Amino acid sequence: MKNIVTIFRKEFYRVMSDRRLIFTAILLPGLAIYIMYTFIGSAIGGEIEDITQHKMIIYTENLPTEVQNYIYTQEINPEYHIYDSAEHDELEEMILNGEVDMLIRFEETFEDDIDNLIVTGIQIYSNPGEKYSEYTYNVITNALHSYANVIGIERYGDAYYSFDMSSEIIMDEEKAAGQNFAMLLPMLIVMFLFSGAMSIGPDSIAGEKERGTIATLLVTPVKRSEIAIGKVLSLTVISMMSATSSFIGIMFSLPNLMQGAGDNLDVFIYGAWDILMLFSVLLATVFVIVGLVAALSAYAKSIKEASMLIMPFYFISMALGISTMFSGEASSELWVYFMPIYSSVNLIIAILTFDLSLTAYLITISTSLIYVAIFVYILTKLFQSEKVMFSK
Amino acid sequence: MNTLEVKNIKKTFKLSKKQQKIEKTDIKLKIAVNDLSFTAFPGEIYGLLGPNGAGKTTCLRAISTLIKPDEGDILVGGSSVVTDSFEVRKKIGFLTSELKLEDHFTPNYLYTYFSRLHNVEEDVIEERKKVLFERFGIEEFKEVKVGDLSTGMKQKTSIAISLVHNPEYIVFDEPTNGLDVLTARSVTDYLVELKESGKTVILSTHILSVVEKLCDRVGIIINGKMKISDTLENVKKTNSNNDLEEIFFNLVKEDELAGGGF
Ligand SMILES: Nc1ncnc2c1ncn2[C@@H]1O[C@H](COP(=O)(O)OP(=O)(O)OP(=O)(O)O)[C@@H](O)[C@H]1O
Ligand SMILES: [Mg+2]
Repeated sequence: MKNIVTIFRKEFYRVMSDRRLIFTAILLPGLAIYIMYTFIGSAIGGEIEDITQHKMIIYTENLPTEVQNYIYTQEINPEYHIYDSAEHDELEEMILNGEVDMLIRFEETFEDDIDNLIVTGIQIYSNPGEKYSEYTYNVITNALHSYANVIGIERYGDAYYSFDMSSEIIMDEEKAAGQNFAMLLPMLIVMFLFSGAMSIGPDSIAGEKERGTIATLLVTPVKRSEIAIGKVLSLTVISMMSATSSFIGIMFSLPNLMQGAGDNLDVFIYGAWDILMLFSVLLATVFVIVGLVAALSAYAKSIKEASMLIMPFYFISMALGISTMFSGEASSELWVYFMPIYSSVNLIIAILTFDLSLTAYLITISTSLIYVAIFVYILTKLFQSEKVMFSK
Repeated sequence: MNTLEVKNIKKTFKLSKKQQKIEKTDIKLKIAVNDLSFTAFPGEIYGLLGPNGAGKTTCLRAISTLIKPDEGDILVGGSSVVTDSFEVRKKIGFLTSELKLEDHFTPNYLYTYFSRLHNVEEDVIEERKKVLFERFGIEEFKEVKVGDLSTGMKQKTSIAISLVHNPEYIVFDEPTNGLDVLTARSVTDYLVELKESGKTVILSTHILSVVEKLCDRVGIIINGKMKISDTLENVKKTNSNNDLEEIFFNLVKEDELAGGGF
């Protein structure tokens, strides 16, 4: 234990006393994220295939056949349900939690109103916090506007007719904001946790092999497992500092992002508990990443080779982060939470969207610890192997 | 019990394609050390003498537990390098050019770091540091980063660091390499002091004069094999002129005639 502390302190001091490393490992990630975010701003809320393929669920009252037919000609094909005013509250609840995308109420006198040139009212209930509902709202209101034009031209020879549409917004502000975070953060968190570990891991282990300083450590009466743990711990702390810096970068770039991702990016929607959960997941993730980076670095003959070996894992992890970016929803499949990194990505989303399941949390944390234990074991074995340690 | 016994060790290296080219051979296996045995005693300096590539460093690396012998064993004060390498590492102070110090740190920092890894008490660390740093003239550059030190300064620092735990067994691979005459002298003087205080010292060299001046016992390795191992006196007696150089040359010639170590 004492040796672990000694090695940890030396490894930590190594980075902290080196201005170049402080910059590349700790400051740069935050700076990079700030710059990137400022540039990609609007790209994030972009087009989403998944949404267009979603079957819209719409409750209707007095839906005129002509309107239904017109919507159909616009290649919009929702699933219609008949509205029952006795169940209005339940329906609002369903819109709130995303089970129903929209409620649309027409006047009973819709046809007559048009014939008599009366502006008829249409009431629309939707939830802009749910991406499907928001999309449905946009598509349907567009269709209605253009239908009004068609009526105007067909019946009166000009396009002046319009409906009096009123929109009721049913939304949970916090969840809507959370969803924006959930789309943005996971990929970036994975990316920056990795880049923290990658900027120092190869140097700290493969570099020591390459420069021949590891042998000096290996002739001391220190258990190989202590070297492994000491290195992993110091890499973890430094990667966490690096991730914190990224986090600060994200906070500062939020105003620049808002334009693109809606106005719902206020970090203060999260309480101390959410932050604590998030932190614990990040820590578990860093452990896994550092364990992986350390094991690959110990196996590699040089810093260069180590970086090359890490790259594929880095890209896979990024892809996992990106895969959830557009859904903005945590997976409900349990097996997901047994997969390293992928579990973290989903759990981060769950926390950010206030959708955390305790089972998923516990599985993620405990499997992460198992993964890191396996990596430390491998690392220890590699430190014990003269073939690996002295391969040139 | 306080002896260092090397018992019939054999070490083979697999040669990579690159190494085969360098060695100009298509043999895949290189027997670096072949059935080597010798014993070093406390209060004595044992000198391993041999030409380049004879297997001296390989033998000393096996003693240090950095590599494991394929066959045979080494007992350091009764602890086996094969089954009890952890204990062996506590007992020996090892020096070879392979053990590098990290450029980023100062001798002062590294001395303390390695002392702690050897479990030396804090006040003892400072006490011994003072003695060793003065002895090898490290005091003036103890706060200079290793990366900025000259080869000789680095070597001195390495020597001090190999001795942080005041080991009973001192295993030095060509300790005076890269040192000027003055510093080399301070190192050899120190080795004599260590031996006089009852420690077991092994050093390797290809310099005959070092052996003649320092060593109580000598082993001559050629091509991985121990050709002769005895007290310096007895070894010299095998030659009519008492001439170590002549003995050495004859052994090398004899080996060449026998077709090397294979
Ligand atoms: N890791 C290795 N892989 C392959 N061959 C090796 C390895 N280490 C040593 N050898 C070979 O083993 C032989 C003995 O090498 P060693 O370093 O022990 O010699 P030495 O007596 O110390 O020589 P020198 O006086 O030049 O230091 C050499 O032929 C060397 O090429
Ligand atoms: Mg050598």
